[in-house]
Amino acid sequence: MQVIIDNKPYEVQEGMTIEQACMQAGIRIPTLCNLKDVSSNASCGICVVEVKGAKSLLRSCITKVTDGMEITTNNARILRARKMNVELLLANHPLDCQTCERNQRCELQQITYEFGIDQRRLPRTRPKQLERDYSSLSLIRDPEKCILCGRCVAVCKEVQTVSAIDFAGRGQKSKISTFMDMGLGMVDCTNCGQCALVCPTGAIIEKSHVSQIWEAIHDPKKVVVVQTAPAIRVGIGEEMGMPMGSLVTGKMVAGLRRLGFSKVFDTNFTADLTIIEEGNELISRIQNNGTLPMITSCSPGWIKFIEHFFPKSLPHLSTCKSPQQMFGAIAKTYYAEQAGIDPRDMVVVSVMPCTAKKYEAKRPEMDGAFDYWKKKMKLTAEDRFFDVDYVLTTRELGRMFKEVGIDFKSLPTEDFDNPLGTSTGAAVIFGATGGVMEAALRTAYEILTGDTLKDVNLKAVRGMDGIREADININGTILKVAVAHTLKNARILLEQIENGTSPYAFIEVMSCPGGCLGGGGQPIPTNTEIRMKRAESIYEEDSHKFIRKSHENPEIKYLYDNFLKKPLGALSHDLLHTKYVERKM
Amino acid sequence: MDTLTPYEVEEKVLDEIVGKYKGSPGVLLSTLEAVQEANPLKFLPQKTLLQVAKKLNVPATQVYSVATFYSFFNLKPQGKHTIVVCRGTACHTKGSRELLNSVGQILGFRYEFDETEPSYTTPDNEFTIRTVACFGQCAQAPVVAVDGVIHSNVNAPKLLKILKKVKSSSYAKNQSK
Ligand code: SF4
Ligand code: SF4
Ligand code: SF4
Ligand code: FES
Repeated sequence: MQVIIDNKPYEVQEGMTIEQACMQAGIRIPTLCNLKDVSSNASCGICVVEVKGAKSLLRSCITKVTDGMEITTNNARILRARKMNVELLLANHPLDCQTCERNQRCELQQITYEFGIDQRRLPRTRPKQLERDYSSLSLIRDPEKCILCGRCVAVCKEVQTVSAIDFAGRGQKSKISTFMDMGLGMVDCTNCGQCALVCPTGAIIEKSHVSQIWEAIHDPKKVVVVQTAPAIRVGIGEEMGMPMGSLVTGKMVAGLRRLGFSKVFDTNFTADLTIIEEGNELISRIQNNGTLPMITSCSPGWIKFIEHFFPKSLPHLSTCKSPQQMFGAIAKTYYAEQAGIDPRDMVVVSVMPCTAKKYEAKRPEMDGAFDYWKKKMKLTAEDRFFDVDYVLTTRELGRMFKEVGIDFKSLPTEDFDNPLGTSTGAAVIFGATGGVMEAALRTAYEILTGDTLKDVNLKAVRGMDGIREADININGTILKVAVAHTLKNARILLEQIENGTSPYAFIEVMSCPGGCLGGGGQPIPTNTEIRMKRAESIYEEDSHKFIRKSHENPEIKYLYDNFLKKPLGALSHDLLHTKYVERKM
Repeated sequence: MDTLTPYEVEEKVLDEIVGKYKGSPGVLLSTLEAVQEANPLKFLPQKTLLQVAKKLNVPATQVYSVATFYSFFNLKPQGKHTIVVCRGTACHTKGSRELLNSVGQILGFRYEFDETEPSYTTPDNEFTIRTVACFGQCAQAPVVAVDGVIHSNVNAPKLLKILKKVKSSSYAKNQSK
């Protein structure tokens, strides 16, 4: 069908919104509340246009095109109305850009600038100064910076089916809040950070560990080692101004070294380790009539979700700790021993695409290394340390690079340090939805059949469909597996388990859309297109790896021979496996 | 915060109410209304909100959202008696603010007048004090409503008398709403 936009005819498809039609015609209509695939509550009124025959201005983000529609996107009335709507938001907004985490990446700031608004013109209408919410270990909410666009509410409700946050109050007292204003840390929030990822302002941000990390790096007594999750190498480039999905493993390593970390290790190493433990756990459950389906446990948002909403299904979770936590436990035992470092002086920093990892690191049971040393070194409760000390998001790491003026694009490529930096292609795909499943199957298949896998690429579990399933033929027995990303899809698979209709033996769940590469700690923006690009880079890295199966990682073999002894053994039990609890609000 | 009040609607009553409205449109709203009405202190304690959420299978946050959106829901216990002080312009110039402070003194608590706080209830759950934007009785300012009965040209001594009467409960008892 045809529409007229600013006096020029354009061919458009039925069902498009005016905003989409304009975009196609090369006119970007400013929007604040609308976000593709997430939120369309049309509350901000920034996107208005004039349509011939309509008395009032129309919101282009929700109004569909009709044949012959005559649309005007630029006249005095439109620009005045848009500006007024932004000024109304600014009336209650602190003008604190310099000290705001979102400075220079804030959609409100950008629009204010583009609209040429150079002062706060309208008086404040909100009666009360709203307090910040510091109760969460992962996120900080600042309702004063909130413009009530509703994106966070939509993502939490529709994508994650958690609904930890919603609108509360009305009129001038409207705000986004938790149940009884208890604070994110006190309710059933999973810490996934998807709300922070979609927020157009600085109203939801991660709880930063940057200053503590600088302090540790600058402390000569401390040995500060860093691990990087698989998804960082396809995200940090964006944060440093490179094209979306840029694969920058070597530059990232070089940059981390320049920040002053003593050793640059790889979470991929313990991703391989996870596969050995988890693969063996699966086999043992299958062979010993254990609880099936077994579900992966790498995604801490997912863990908190099942603890809150499906506690009856906790026995289905693999007891394996996540790769981040396995890394901390191994670094402060095996590596500390090897390198002769007092574990009390070692600081383990992780770079994660994830805000929930900050919470996970502080779960009280995550001190396996301390337990390991307690008797040997006669440690007291005062010496207690966590396996992982600090967690940085991809965004925070980008800031550290910028703070010390690292010219990321021109960095050379460097290799990870040994021994905790050696990894396989199976580990890197942990960063994409379906990757843990594929990696586990590469190993489980070979252990169970004794054969070599002809094609390691298990394409059936790849992709971006919400739930994907596959049948794996193991010596004539069919192993049914499924992969889900986002908690909404995880919920579907859990409901099947609880009503007894789940046909699967093994399930992978990742909390965030696209898996870790779309995690709540990744660069902003993160959208469908960007997630696809990051996934491509992940699979590219895998395809270039010389070794692509976790059980063939030589450093992992060495670790078992010289330290852990055997998968699911006593030491594994103490350091690499964990328990879960039922959580109430 | 509200832990000092033990008044919660019994599970049995809750189930009856939920059963009555289940499946009807606006079920959450009608349920909350009925549950609040069933509470002797006419409010929705935290535990009740959580129970309603669970029984109706809606997120607790959504229940809270509805309960804070409509002004007729109370999240704090309401006293046996309600005192509403008018804060319209006319009443203001005739000293309604001082009156509010006097209410505090009379009832034995420090009433820090705060425009954002909709109500205050005395710890013994006897009185709830609220303000209203304007009663529309400006000629008789300042105006105070006690249990729904409007009193005009009120000053502190007069108010004291009224409250004494109310407390001795010979007066307009439980003239709710
Ligand atoms: S949220 Fe945006 S506009 Fe507000 S202070 Fe932060 S950067 Fe500035
Ligand atoms: S972190 Fe996730 S679960 Fe928590 S409020 Fe944000 S979107 Fe909801
Ligand atoms: S917190 Fe952010 S995403 Fe949520 S409503 Fe406010 S501005 Fe929008
Ligand atoms: S973007 Fe259309 S109303 Fe907000």
